[in-house]
Amino acid sequence: MSLLRLRPALLGSAPLRAAGSVLRNYSSASTKEKAARNAICERTELLEVLKARVKQLQASNVPEVTVNKVELAPLGNDKYQNPLQKVVAPGPTENQPAPRQRDDNSAWPSSWVEKSKKEMHMRQLKVERRLSIAAQLAAESKVKAKRETNVKTKGKKSLKAKEAAAWSHSHASPHGAYTCSKPRVAAVNKSAKAQRTQRVQEDGDGNQYKILQQTIQSNLECFLFLQQPEKAERFLLSYHRSPVKRRLLNVNAYNIVMRSWARKGHLLRIKRLFSMLASVGLQPNLDSYAAALECLGRNPLSTETIQSWVQQMENNGFHVDELFQKCLFEEDEKEKVLKAIRIVQPNYQLPPPANPQNCKSSLLQDFYFKEKVVSYPKLDFSVQELQERFQQQLEMELASTVTIESVESTKPLTPQAIKARKLLDTLRSRWHDSILQALKKSKHSMSKLKTASGYKILYPYLCLLPDKEYVAIMLQILNTLSPQGESLAVLARELGSKVYDRYITQRKLRSSHLEKVQEVYEDYIHLLAKDSQPDNYLPREYWEKLVSEAGFGPSLHLKDCSWPYMLVMRLGMHMLELLVQAVKVPRNILNPRLEPKLIPVLYHIYSFHSSWQVGLVKPHPIFSQIVSDAAETMLTFNSSAIPMLCPPVPWTSPHFGAFILSDTKLMRFVDGAIQHQLLLEQCPPVNLHPVLDALNQLGNCAWKINQPVLDIIISIFNDKGNEKLDIPPPISEAPKPSVAPSSFSTLNKSQKRELLLCRKKAAEMHSLRMDALYKLSIANYVRDKVFWFPHNMDFRGRTYPCPPYFNHLGNDVTRAILLFAEGKPLGPRGLDWLKIHLVNLTGLKKKNSLQERLEYANEIMEEILDSADYPLTGRKWWMNTDEPWQALACCMEIAKASRSPDPAAYISHFPVHQDGSCNGLQHYAALGRDLIGAISVNLMPCSVPQDVYSAVAQQVEEFRKKDAERGVKIAQVLQGFVSRKVVKQTVMTVVYGVTRYGGRLQIEKRLKEIDEFPEEYLWEASQYLVKQVFSGIKEMFSATRDIQNWLTESAKLIAQSGRTVEWVTPLGLPIVQPYYRSKSTVLNCSMQNLSVKNSNSSQKPDTVKQKNAFPPNFIHSLDSTHMMLTALHCLRQGLTFVSVHDCYWTHALTVDVMNQICRQQFVALHSEKILQDLSEFMLEKYCSPGKETRALWQKKLMEQLSSVPKTGEFNLKEVMDSTYFFS
Amino acid sequence: MLAGRAPPGCCRRIRLLLPPLPCWARRAAGQWASPGLRVPEAAEVERLVQDGLRRRSPLRRFIACPRLARTVQGCLRGGAGPQPVLLECAPGPGILTRILLNAGIRVVAVESNLAFLPNLQSLENSLDGQLRVIYGDFFRLDPLVTGKVKPPALCSDELFETMGVAAVPWRADVPVKVFGILPQRKERNTLWRLLFSLYECSSIYKYGRVELNVFISEKEYKVLTAKPGEVKAYQALSVLWQIGCEIQLLHMEPWSSFITNLKNGALAIPKSTCLPNDHLCLVRLTPRQNLFTGGLKTTNSSTFVFMVKQCFAKPRSRLTDRLNSWSLDSGGKLLRELEIPKSAEMRDLYPEDYRRLFEALQNSSMFTDTWFHDEVLESIRKINL
Repeated sequence: MSLLRLRPALLGSAPLRAAGSVLRNYSSASTKEKAARNAICERTELLEVLKARVKQLQASNVPEVTVNKVELAPLGNDKYQNPLQKVVAPGPTENQPAPRQRDDNSAWPSSWVEKSKKEMHMRQLKVERRLSIAAQLAAESKVKAKRETNVKTKGKKSLKAKEAAAWSHSHASPHGAYTCSKPRVAAVNKSAKAQRTQRVQEDGDGNQYKILQQTIQSNLECFLFLQQPEKAERFLLSYHRSPVKRRLLNVNAYNIVMRSWARKGHLLRIKRLFSMLASVGLQPNLDSYAAALECLGRNPLSTETIQSWVQQMENNGFHVDELFQKCLFEEDEKEKVLKAIRIVQPNYQLPPPANPQNCKSSLLQDFYFKEKVVSYPKLDFSVQELQERFQQQLEMELASTVTIESVESTKPLTPQAIKARKLLDTLRSRWHDSILQALKKSKHSMSKLKTASGYKILYPYLCLLPDKEYVAIMLQILNTLSPQGESLAVLARELGSKVYDRYITQRKLRSSHLEKVQEVYEDYIHLLAKDSQPDNYLPREYWEKLVSEAGFGPSLHLKDCSWPYMLVMRLGMHMLELLVQAVKVPRNILNPRLEPKLIPVLYHIYSFHSSWQVGLVKPHPIFSQIVSDAAETMLTFNSSAIPMLCPPVPWTSPHFGAFILSDTKLMRFVDGAIQHQLLLEQCPPVNLHPVLDALNQLGNCAWKINQPVLDIIISIFNDKGNEKLDIPPPISEAPKPSVAPSSFSTLNKSQKRELLLCRKKAAEMHSLRMDALYKLSIANYVRDKVFWFPHNMDFRGRTYPCPPYFNHLGNDVTRAILLFAEGKPLGPRGLDWLKIHLVNLTGLKKKNSLQERLEYANEIMEEILDSADYPLTGRKWWMNTDEPWQALACCMEIAKASRSPDPAAYISHFPVHQDGSCNGLQHYAALGRDLIGAISVNLMPCSVPQDVYSAVAQQVEEFRKKDAERGVKIAQVLQGFVSRKVVKQTVMTVVYGVTRYGGRLQIEKRLKEIDEFPEEYLWEASQYLVKQVFSGIKEMFSATRDIQNWLTESAKLIAQSGRTVEWVTPLGLPIVQPYYRSKSTVLNCSMQNLSVKNSNSSQKPDTVKQKNAFPPNFIHSLDSTHMMLTALHCLRQGLTFVSVHDCYWTHALTVDVMNQICRQQFVALHSEKILQDLSEFMLEKYCSPGKETRALWQKKLMEQLSSVPKTGEFNLKEVMDSTYFFS
Repeated sequence: MLAGRAPPGCCRRIRLLLPPLPCWARRAAGQWASPGLRVPEAAEVERLVQDGLRRRSPLRRFIACPRLARTVQGCLRGGAGPQPVLLECAPGPGILTRILLNAGIRVVAVESNLAFLPNLQSLENSLDGQLRVIYGDFFRLDPLVTGKVKPPALCSDELFETMGVAAVPWRADVPVKVFGILPQRKERNTLWRLLFSLYECSSIYKYGRVELNVFISEKEYKVLTAKPGEVKAYQALSVLWQIGCEIQLLHMEPWSSFITNLKNGALAIPKSTCLPNDHLCLVRLTPRQNLFTGGLKTTNSSTFVFMVKQCFAKPRSRLTDRLNSWSLDSGGKLLRELEIPKSAEMRDLYPEDYRRLFEALQNSSMFTDTWFHDEVLESIRKINL
């Protein structure tokens, strides 16, 4: 159910589909789009150009000052002076729109000189830019785009705008602003407004720019990691020397090189870099000075030298304390810096840690209210035990992969399998050698290359890990390739990100990050262990406290070092090419009669989808045959696919938390989208505290396996599966075509079709089977252990467990095998709750009261006990329920509890669920205080649960009757077919923005399932019904529709004004909708050109998606807020709590408490003026008065945003007493 | 290949002055007496179109001026002898229909827009069986759906039964002529679908070598008739159509001569960056009599189509590389036998080379490797929708 609800939103984030290449794209959509875009922003562009010039001038004033000041700079200043003057040439003054800036300009010579200069400069820029970009990674597509723009005269203007905006951007990058000093911050603040307006526009090209910048920096980081400062410097210089490429460098790039030298103790080199910085008008920042001081600490010269550096730093507005408060250190850098400082200030003490701030949200006042803090709930483990578990987890993550036995391993081994396994082993060792050889060869040829081509740029990335690790990664991919093959893009991404993950692990090891985590974690578990002092801290608070107490050592989060998506893809493609080339198999290996010849194991082929083609890599049938014969029973997973064996590291910042080593993002995002990350970074840390604490709370729930149920499932799985019980049967059970497929060309059409259907079915079965195999094998692997699911969230704040295959969000089967590790007595009402829960799982008695459900359970007690005792041999009552496996597990729990001498004292580990009834509509109804709506989604207390689906079905039926009487044919045909089931899915998804089109498909599907329904009317009937469902909902949820329309319309206007829709949840989590008009970038690789959809490269928002997805995303952000509030307050009451979005789980004992908290928090949440706040936030953000109201749309937007929909007269407090609100 | 030779802009009108025949004789020869229908003027047609397609119907193009209609009619006229039935797709207001009828041709009009139907039907009723009007969309013929075909989609069996045309052997003469303007949105799609039917001998081609006379955009025409060396234009579509059909350019007409159903009367000319696209081209596509001789059969033709598509997925790669990547060893020997240079790129091969290559592969039994067929099957499922 939750999966279904998720879908519309997921559909919204389509760029996931980044697929293969289209070599020739016939559609002219892009040009059309471009024209439209031009039309929209032509007006704004001109203004932006001018503004950009203003900024440029501001920025370029700085170098003059610094050049004078930096007397230390010993190296060829004049050498850099010339290009500097060229670059710095300011724009024509008469065009300056902002009078504020005039003073600055007066210092410059008269305008005509500049004009000519500027024009020359522009021309030069254009040419050089094209050259440089052509050579750049990731920029391939832009060249194309530009060529097109250049054809048009209009294009010229926009190009200039791009240059200007991009140029100024390198100075105003948020990073720079974030880390730089006070005076500069002040300066930035001064122009903050202008900048803010600009950023939106800037990002359009800035993003492409950012990707290039990121590429350069990650390259430099590689050299730093490899400890090759010379190469890093050479690389930096190659950019620094060209006035055009230089604009891609920011101070961080220089800093990385400085750090590489600092590590070697070469102060002269650092000095030179400082002068380089000055020569291009960049200000050294705190990190630069940290590097210099570190170098001095390693290789102390005279006290005077250090003194002069410190002096220079302070002159630039930095304080010594800031070094230790703001800089991120690796290895022993911090100590070295301190050493240097103490040479000049022997008594210097590290600044005390900043006082922890507390969240001020009114919703959480009592949560963070210190005086009545309850101690953090303890786990049932001693410090010692947790320590051991931590070691296990650490070892697993250090190995980066885990190989586990699959549940199929219990099957007996056939002689054929033994033979095939032997064969596979020899082949693999051969492949290992040939891949290693190919890798070495390609690295060798790369290192010989002189030019900095896209190919060469990969070289450092192939040196980061030992060669054998790359080979292992490639072999792993080969082993997991399905017989149907996989698209190149997917494989490349997987390969690339695996290398990245291992590199990050290596870096953490290198920077002794791990030791520090280990140290802190050792103390941290005292908070959780049962045998240690209670501490009145939250996990995050405690961790932060420990870190600040630890003082020395590396910082716990690394400096931002993520690789741009394009780079990951390129690296992956290169490895894939090696793999395809190197892995070969003798053709006659299965059929000795053929002539011996080596043929590739992987072949590359295209698959066509209407107008585009996708490159696939498929294994040769020979290979698939051997693999299937071998029936190998070992599965290899990334260590992050396995649940954690110790409590997760608490989230303390967007960069740090979850696994010990594996890199995990706080917010999941589609590839290449960095907006969330930026937004989270810019957000004051204190605002994130509630969200981080909620995630920590969810992640700290310990789990164990329900072994009896797992055993039954595995026995069915290893037998023949059971489609009805959702256990996918093995491939051997797949339907066989009636004729042998060997003689393909002789088949007639229907035989071909049959063959096709069989293949399709087999492919589906294979993927289902593999999915189940993974889940069950992981569950089996942890069957005797206690384990944890670290959580993160999507961009709307909905939380998800990180391990992808086996987790409590899974299907009925996976949910049934999970139990809380912690047991609690059932208490007086626990057994009743178990019974009610069982009835809920059956799907029967949905319209009955809780009491009636309980009575029903008591009536069928015999069936329940029979199911529990003889699940496979008895009357099998459990098999005919909605969620059979969970029902079975529940039957067993009830049996055990009811047979125990005192059921109230029976210790139960069983999670009991409480499910929101149509949660999306609940939030809408509460937002709009919609009385009728509120009743139908159970916000109002009622003796029996209201069923919104039946209500809508009834309404639709009424419409239908009327139409039938009026003689509408289709209404007559539909007589007797309008049911709850037919409309349910559509009603459920309507709140999440399902369109008529999608709704029709849903209804059509339901009608198809009804055998009696005449097939020829399917289309017409579904078309008719979806219309009726929509008007039925409109009738019942009037306020809901108003709100939905308001949200949609607002989002539309915002998106049309060229900005993305952003908002902040009541808990303070900033949200941005990551939907942009995707532009694909073509990656030129020798095997195939890969077109990678990059939602990022063009920052123009996708209006349709922004608009359609806003209402559902907004509601999701509210339901996630409600969940987090409930989680946090449950924590304070000592409850075990986890959630599957709008389904909350806890022990049977605590269901009542959780229900109360859940209702309280719902009321509290909606007592906030949510829509009012949203409106104010958006007015401030999108129509702040400081900006000129230059267009009609702005007025329109303002009107739209101000007219918050009116609310109805529903009294929110009623929710407190509604039994069926969550049940 | 005739297509390349016809100079652009030239219309091949053959003026045959036939002596008047007695009524019965004309009927026997497939010709009818001219009913002498009045042909509406362009302005009138425009109004009819605007009235007819008021609601948001998909973009359509119509012949409005009688001059153009007469030109087309002239182009459609074949040689002497009995004229086969002419199937007119989407006649709309029926300008051309009237002119064709006046020329004594038996016409079957397939119209998908209900708004135009009454007019056409009354015309049908006023005549003595010379015109047959069918509600349907010729370009949605034989959709691959299970169950009943929903109008205006059509089933070719029913269509031909209504027309009263029986299937003839492949090598026999053209059983039916078709005239239409390819729907612009789905132009390429339609060309691919027709191609698949052609190679499979299914749909309309089950009834013999149905001759298509269609207006297509100039850029697509360039693609259909492209030769190796025309870098942008030479594509899989070129190879397959040239192998499958004789392509004859009958007439070129600027876009402005047609009217559309767009509200502002816009012409909605599809953009083209690399290829000229100033005209709509009336092209005659006559399936080749010798298509299914030699190694190419209806049973393996989909493999051929698939092979060509694969080759053109990366037109600049070398043929030997491709053959190797398909694990088809001894590719070198094969190329030598076919006298194709080792360094040949995909786009260097002439359509006939592809056919020879395919036939050679068939003979060398290399394609018996099962995986290639699996792929073909997959691709059919995906494309042939």
